[in-house]
Amino acid sequence: MVRLGLLLTLALILATCTFPQDPNSTLDRVRGGTLRVGVTEHRPWVQRLDGDEPAGVEVELVRHFAEELGTSVQWVWGAEQEHLEALERYELDLAIMGLTQATPWKTRVGLTQPYYTSRITVGVPASMSSPPELAGVAVAVKEGSVIAAYLEEEEARPMRVSEPAQAEALVAAATWELDRLGLTPTDFELHSEKHVMAVPPGENGWLVALEKFLAARQSQVEQALQQQASP
Amino acid sequence: MRTPPPYRLPVEKQKQLQRAERLEWVTIFFLITIAGVMYLATGSSQAMKTAWLEDVLSLVPPIVFLVALRFRTKPPNEQFPYGYRRLISVAFLSAATALLIMGLYMLYDSAMKLIMQEHPTIGLREIWGWQLWSGWIMIAALIYSAIPPVILGKKKVPLAKKLHEKTLHTDAAMNKDDWLTALAAMVGVLGVGFGWWWADAVAAGVISVQVVKDGYENVTDSITDLIGQRPTRVGQGDEPELAPLQLVDRLKDLDWVEDATVRLREEGDVFTGEAYIIPRYDHHLLEHLRQAYQVIHTGDWRLYDIAVVPVATFEEAWSDPANDRGDHSTRPEKVSEKPAV
Repeated sequence: MVRLGLLLTLALILATCTFPQDPNSTLDRVRGGTLRVGVTEHRPWVQRLDGDEPAGVEVELVRHFAEELGTSVQWVWGAEQEHLEALERYELDLAIMGLTQATPWKTRVGLTQPYYTSRITVGVPASMSSPPELAGVAVAVKEGSVIAAYLEEEEARPMRVSEPAQAEALVAAATWELDRLGLTPTDFELHSEKHVMAVPPGENGWLVALEKFLAARQSQVEQALQQQASP
Repeated sequence: MRTPPPYRLPVEKQKQLQRAERLEWVTIFFLITIAGVMYLATGSSQAMKTAWLEDVLSLVPPIVFLVALRFRTKPPNEQFPYGYRRLISVAFLSAATALLIMGLYMLYDSAMKLIMQEHPTIGLREIWGWQLWSGWIMIAALIYSAIPPVILGKKKVPLAKKLHEKTLHTDAAMNKDDWLTALAAMVGVLGVGFGWWWADAVAAGVISVQVVKDGYENVTDSITDLIGQRPTRVGQGDEPELAPLQLVDRLKDLDWVEDATVRLREEGDVFTGEAYIIPRYDHHLLEHLRQAYQVIHTGDWRLYDIAVVPVATFEEAWSDPANDRGDHSTRPEKVSEKPAV
């Protein structure tokens, strides 16, 4: 009987107040004031236009989120480590930079659930058909990109070039990148990247509010990527 | 060299042992499912991680029990004239030591999380199409993790007492206490939900302390068992069994017995050792010794392979004939000063 009473009391408390709550009241503070966002350029997720104006897929999402919260945004440009260290110590409320779930920072800051998963694959020109397998096949890839390593895992032959668009060959990149280049993505799965945003650690109320917003926006992300893609 | 035949449980005890064995297999099955469910539900909550570790560790006692059961029925042979009944105590000591060390590590880990002020991030999780706060998923997993062990534990405790099986009893007691672990972790997760980040680390600490306590008690129990402590009651620490005293009474009831004393120790679930009897008279001694042996081994099912030693006095039983008188000393003599002839 006592246990039932306790359970009901708990249910009542949970129904009336917001749950979960923030140890540092981030959600309340942001609602009442400003949203401090750390941005680092990483096309097409975050782009730095003239006059330090931010643009990009993640930037647009954050702008809409801020509108919903009725708060103004303070954009802070900087490097990844700077922002994540600041985030860890609650000097920022949010950090966006095309971060993925594979980041080693996941133990030090809070990450949202993935709001979009990029697929890295090989694209063929419309005239060609997909090769039966990748072993021994020459595939163009942007130099200095980790995608070359994924190709080598599949025993393909990466051609590291500065402009894959001009390679006139198979290209390895994310599907939305391939769309931009007018190539058809094949079924080969080189890698998948789960895109996330970073929040201060333990601010669970804030995190849940953001995650709820992002969960409803999956199709918009796909659209935004297409738009960004067209030159 | 001749060796005694292996110990055989009375028929009703065999049935109880079979039931215990079945329950242990069921326990292992459920613990594996629980470990799987907990693993999937655990995010970055220290309390969940600790509770999961505790669940995985509770797989050790039933496995030890089942493996030891296989070995201890092996008959004594020339190499192991006392048989293999002690294996279970050794196995249990190793398992208990592992538990203790893991518990200490878990306590250290939780304390560090508290000291370093790590705030656990617990956000949404998609499950079967729904977006739920991960904390609810964790709590659901914790509820599941508490139910089978508590039910199984309640069934095993009386069996362990009837079979005088300390390993089984420890395992059952740990199962029964699983509801406490689950409750602590739930309070921790809910605490985080209410904004108290430290609730998680504190709950993890509480669970770790329980594991350390269990590990420590089991280690000391195993050690005292192995160094030949007198038989103790199952589940009641060092409280002595009455069997030795009862045995002495039964022997003294025999008309040819002047006085008797026994020295018993536990070997797994049996009591073995020596019974020293001062007979009133020498004649028919072999018959009387045989009778004494029967009386000893039919009185209590736990008594096995007890040596019956007839003595004139108890002091004589434990005298050291080599060192009693100086002229029979076995110590090396000093080199004599006598000159060689």
